[in-house]
Amino acid sequence: MEGASYQRFPKVKIRELKDDYCKFELRDTDASMANALRRVMIAEVPTIAIDLVEIEVNSSVLNDEFIAHRLGLIPLTSDRAMSMRFSRDCDACDGDGQCEFCSVEFHLRAKCINDQTLDVTSKDLYSSDHTVVPVDFSDSSSGFDNTEQRGIIIVKLRRGQELRLRAIARKGIGKDHAKWSPAATVTFMYEPEIHINEELMETLSLEEKTSWVESSPTKVFDIDPNTQQVVVVDPEAYTYDDEVIKKAEAMGKPGLVEIYAKEDSFIFTVESTGAIKASQLLLNAIEVLKQKLDAVRLSEDTVEADEQFGELGAHMRGG
Amino acid sequence: MGPKEDYAVPLESDVDKQFLAAPVKSVVDKFQLLPEFLKVRGLVKQHLDSFNYFVRTEIKKIVRANDLITSRVDPTIYLRYKDVWIGEPSMTIDGVTEKLSPHKCRLSDITYAAPIYVNIEYITGSHGQKTPPVAKNNVIIGRMPIMLRSCCCVLHGKDGAELARLGECPLDPGGYFIIKGTEKVILIQEQLSKNRIIIDTDKKGCVQASVMSSTEATKSKTVIKMEKEKIYLYLNQFANKVPIMVVMKAMGMESDQEVVQMLGRDPRFGALLLPSIEECASNDVYTQHQALEFLEKKVRKSPFSNSSFEKEGKALGILRDVFIANIPVRQSNFRAKCIYVAVMLRRMMEAILNKDAMDDKDYVGNKRLELSGQLLSLLFEDLFKTMNDEVKKTVDATLAKPSRSSRFDFSQFIVKDSITVGLERTLSTGNWDVKRFKMHRKGMTQVVARLSFIGTLGHMTKISPQFEKSRKVSGPRALQPSQWGMLCPCDTPEGEACGLVKNLALMTHVTTDEEEGPIVSLCYCLGVEDLELLSGEELHTPDSFLIILNGIILGKHRRPQRFANAMRKLRRAGKIGEFVSVFVNEKQHCVYIASDGGRVCRPLVIADKGVSRIKEHHMKELLDGVRCFDDFLREGLIEYLDVNEENNALIALYEGEATFETTHIEIEPFTILGVCAGLIPFPHHNQSPRNTYQCAMGKQAMGNIAYNQLCRMDTLIYLLVYPQRPLLTTRTIELVGYDKLGAGQNATVAVMSYSGYDIEDAIVMNKASLDRGFGRCIVMKKLSAINQKYENNSSDRIIRPQREGHDAERMQILDDDGLAAPGEIIRPNDIYINKQSPIVTRGAIVPPMGLNDKQYKPSRQTYKGPEGETAVVDRVALCSDKNNNLCIKFMIRHTRRPEVGDKFSSRHGQKGVCGTIIQQEDFPFSERGICPDLIMNPHGFPSRMTVGKMIELLGSKAGVSSGKFHYGSAFGEPSGHADRVEAISETLVKHGFSYSGKDFIYSGITGLPLQTYIFMGPIYYQKLKHMVLDKMHARGSGPRVMITRQPTEGRSRNGGLRVGEMERDCLIAYGTSMLIFERLMISSDPFKVQVCRKCGLLGYYNHKLKTSICSTCKNGENVSTMKLPYACKLLFQELQSMNIVPRLKLTEA
Repeated sequence: MEGASYQRFPKVKIRELKDDYCKFELRDTDASMANALRRVMIAEVPTIAIDLVEIEVNSSVLNDEFIAHRLGLIPLTSDRAMSMRFSRDCDACDGDGQCEFCSVEFHLRAKCINDQTLDVTSKDLYSSDHTVVPVDFSDSSSGFDNTEQRGIIIVKLRRGQELRLRAIARKGIGKDHAKWSPAATVTFMYEPEIHINEELMETLSLEEKTSWVESSPTKVFDIDPNTQQVVVVDPEAYTYDDEVIKKAEAMGKPGLVEIYAKEDSFIFTVESTGAIKASQLLLNAIEVLKQKLDAVRLSEDTVEADEQFGELGAHMRGG
Repeated sequence: MGPKEDYAVPLESDVDKQFLAAPVKSVVDKFQLLPEFLKVRGLVKQHLDSFNYFVRTEIKKIVRANDLITSRVDPTIYLRYKDVWIGEPSMTIDGVTEKLSPHKCRLSDITYAAPIYVNIEYITGSHGQKTPPVAKNNVIIGRMPIMLRSCCCVLHGKDGAELARLGECPLDPGGYFIIKGTEKVILIQEQLSKNRIIIDTDKKGCVQASVMSSTEATKSKTVIKMEKEKIYLYLNQFANKVPIMVVMKAMGMESDQEVVQMLGRDPRFGALLLPSIEECASNDVYTQHQALEFLEKKVRKSPFSNSSFEKEGKALGILRDVFIANIPVRQSNFRAKCIYVAVMLRRMMEAILNKDAMDDKDYVGNKRLELSGQLLSLLFEDLFKTMNDEVKKTVDATLAKPSRSSRFDFSQFIVKDSITVGLERTLSTGNWDVKRFKMHRKGMTQVVARLSFIGTLGHMTKISPQFEKSRKVSGPRALQPSQWGMLCPCDTPEGEACGLVKNLALMTHVTTDEEEGPIVSLCYCLGVEDLELLSGEELHTPDSFLIILNGIILGKHRRPQRFANAMRKLRRAGKIGEFVSVFVNEKQHCVYIASDGGRVCRPLVIADKGVSRIKEHHMKELLDGVRCFDDFLREGLIEYLDVNEENNALIALYEGEATFETTHIEIEPFTILGVCAGLIPFPHHNQSPRNTYQCAMGKQAMGNIAYNQLCRMDTLIYLLVYPQRPLLTTRTIELVGYDKLGAGQNATVAVMSYSGYDIEDAIVMNKASLDRGFGRCIVMKKLSAINQKYENNSSDRIIRPQREGHDAERMQILDDDGLAAPGEIIRPNDIYINKQSPIVTRGAIVPPMGLNDKQYKPSRQTYKGPEGETAVVDRVALCSDKNNNLCIKFMIRHTRRPEVGDKFSSRHGQKGVCGTIIQQEDFPFSERGICPDLIMNPHGFPSRMTVGKMIELLGSKAGVSSGKFHYGSAFGEPSGHADRVEAISETLVKHGFSYSGKDFIYSGITGLPLQTYIFMGPIYYQKLKHMVLDKMHARGSGPRVMITRQPTEGRSRNGGLRVGEMERDCLIAYGTSMLIFERLMISSDPFKVQVCRKCGLLGYYNHKLKTSICSTCKNGENVSTMKLPYACKLLFQELQSMNIVPRLKLTEA
């Protein structure tokens, strides 16, 4: 083992990039790396979320804790989050929202004065800091008619009901509470490698081919209308369900197709909650990962590190 | 259920021709009938109908039967009740009458009751100054608790918006009462049929025929039993058994031949009767006179002799009024009774000759359900009579006085308290005590279960048994085939009440009494030969059938099928009541007509020769709203069948399965289940006990209780923060409104093993899901305090809190009025009401505000919740209680997120606790990014065989991917109320999932794919009310019981953890003597005692002299000190006090 280098040079190829969506390939690395990235994106990239709510007036149907919980789950734009301080580490204040380094204050005042139900939404939250505001989904070019949409509904008020509160948003990570997780979905899959045994395939009639192609629940294969050959249209649609392999066996043609998962190549799908852009999420995740590794490396010669990291520390020191 | 000729013409040999001639069948979706039925009849219609019947009819009958009170002193002075009716629910305080709404009653702890009005006519004045009768209308004699949603209730006929304005939930079924603010439901009582002959065997195996007679005047039980080949009568009024032939003779049937003739021609019957005839002769009883004399000797001597019996001899009186009391004797004509006895004997003998003729007590047709209306009428009658007696007594007393200052006015003697109080007390305690009928029943009412909406509904359909629960018999507990469609086969509790407590099925209706008179005359019109005109010989000619109406023999008919058909035709035409049942019993050669109350019945579609009468256009008209359920009934397309009449019908499950002999078609097969079992998707794929478990658990699930849940002030409310409707629904769910008041959430479940914290049904939960609100619940508890008034006119007072000083911290949450403010966070030991009580509460009257501050002592109330838990004051309500004291109620709210140990359950009887909570990133994920909310161990499946749960998973998965709710009603596949697995799989495949519902999953910890496909999808999960927070308990040292000085018991008293007998046995066996010593004494109740070595008795330690002294020996020479459990010392002292001397003998150890 001594001296063996595991160093590799992973490559990233971005396939699709939107504000809240990103699809990219990660090649030349192994599952541990890919998974570390995924885990960090979910749990350790910091964002800002409402953490403390002081309710002045609440005559709505929902109780105080209920509203506080809902407020917490509203994604806030958190581009500043990486540079902010955790309120527990903040020396400028004791985390009561007076300090600009660790907290952002919000106000909400809503009262229904007519007979129409009033929707209190995230748009009604007024931030003390224009960089930290509730995420606005209305400008997304998703094709929906967004004129009606007014943000995330917090509570509905009927005539005479009122809601007045002060909320403090803080920096946090998804490990502590899911509201700080910037990722809605982070997932990856192994890139499949599909080999069709053309010779064997040609022994099938068109009907058999069609039934074989249709046995896959996702559209991986298709029949070329001209040559009537089975072609792989979308290998990534394959969900490793083995249906086509089972079908081939059932048809008495085992080995009709061979499918492998490439063990060093991953296709990532990242969807962000809107708190930070999907691309930034990835960059932040790498940054956090680096910081974590730095923390391990920097503490290499301390005694505590030895206790803390045990064999890992010894390993990193080359022991 | 054999087909009978009344419905189908016997088949000829050539079947095909008839089949071809039959009209073309069409399969019509009859499901729409169900919502219509529930709209008309409702889920608790049985309660409402029964109560309405009582209020509209029964109460008038009762008053009419007891309408006259005459004075014994002057018989011309009288009071007569002309009419009676129930007014609107209202309450009169200080002369002001105020209308009541149910919710107001709930909140302010008052009874929802309406005044009972009577119109009276009476004589005023006395002794020569009498006036002609005076009429007085609208006199209140008491207040009747009103059943919610009954015809007297303010909610009757109101729509959703109006109900909401009254603070009522539109989905609430009603059918219960509000007594002093608590909701009480009178449980449906199951009983054996009254006034019917039941043939069975006693403990010794003797065949007996018994009749429970019940009339307005008397209740009695008559038993005729065959013992050692002789037949005897058992009646409570006779001290011991009486030969039946003597009874027959006493009733005027002196000729033995006539008796034998009445039994019928069969020589075997004669042979069986012979020993009894001989016994009668051996007793020298030949004439009626001799028989009566014989019986006179047997009459049980009662301390209170009734005057009416004395004149003609007690025996005749008993035979007339008590013996089979349901058969009336008019003008000393005992013939009807003789025939009845003969029929009893005949049926007994048939049973002796052929064991199949024995009746089954558990058969549902032999049972009657007693509902609130009947029970209330019993009670009201008793109270009304008692009131009248009291009135009479006081009137007599006043009239007997020679001179009076005021003018005599009869109407002023009516007291209205006794009826009000009597009704209220009975309903709130549930103890029915009717002395006249020797009725002492307990636990008839229960507080409505408001834990979950479905629990409330289930409570209304619950049937409580008549038997005591401890009996170890299997018969009554077993599922009866005759329960089909009437009682839910799944919904019964586990444990001691298993199978005894039942629940009504969805479409069951319970009948109310119906007038017999018109039916009797109708029967005679239809050719029934009157009993009076028949000789004994004619009674049982082989081709004739006896016609029996509600247990009374009307006569015989020679063409029973024709007669039954005619009756049924009249019923379908609406000429007689829709619930009258006609049942031809071929075996007993009887036609039973029943119009009595308490029979269970259900609607069925009528079919002619296997062709449903309901056609496509009928259903279309129903959908268009131009036709309602009652129209179907009126036009004879649908009819109600009771359990007995079902035996004359051949019922097809589906229209397609109907054959030529089919007479009826089920409306929907899933209606055999009740409300609770109706929630289960695909119950017909589950192992049966699992459905039973779910029925019990559905009632403990948290969710929405009612639309007015946040306005209620119940002692304990559990609510779910984000309740959902199930993705996989059933028709029942939609019918009862569970989709609007759900109790659970759709969790994405992965069936796999994870982390080892999932053994024994534990589930692993996703922390992120919990963060986002899964399983989050609100627990609300009520705290209340009363501002008491005392004898001396002083009262408690609530004062402004101290803002400074040592108590200020505990008073932080108080407002300036001394009460905790809504929205404040309340911690243990916080004061929520700053109350003070006067020190002197008795003696001389003090002026209201006359006490100064020093004459009060603080009596603050502090919140005692679990340490560390922060709850919030939700609401504060002030009201006055029945003694006009100020009553303050606080609702304390606590929001909880699931923690390890909280109990969850799916809808398939698969409960489990949360085993561990794991970070989202460690959870497995699919390449679509789906991450389960919880993980369930696959070992939960093989032994439980809950295939329905798997199909639910598949169906919900297809549901979320296709965006529509899928159905899983019981037995619903053929009629399209449940999706087939094939169809579900197709949907799954269409949306890119595997047909099997399994997904390819990556480990969240390593990022590597799992070795197998994981069955994953949404399942509706319920959070059950059992939470660790309410149960966890540990103690080091703490409070002790005063008398024994041992640690207290129970969590609520912060009690110790007991090392019980069995634990002690283990420790003994293991030989850990020191541990036993420590647990049983050191950590319990050690006590140092002085023991005299000489006399062996306990001495004491004199602290002044610093020596131990034995008080018996009067010296301190031989006293040793030792340790003893305090309880042991106590025992010695108690023994000594009863003259037993325990002596301790000490040896050196």
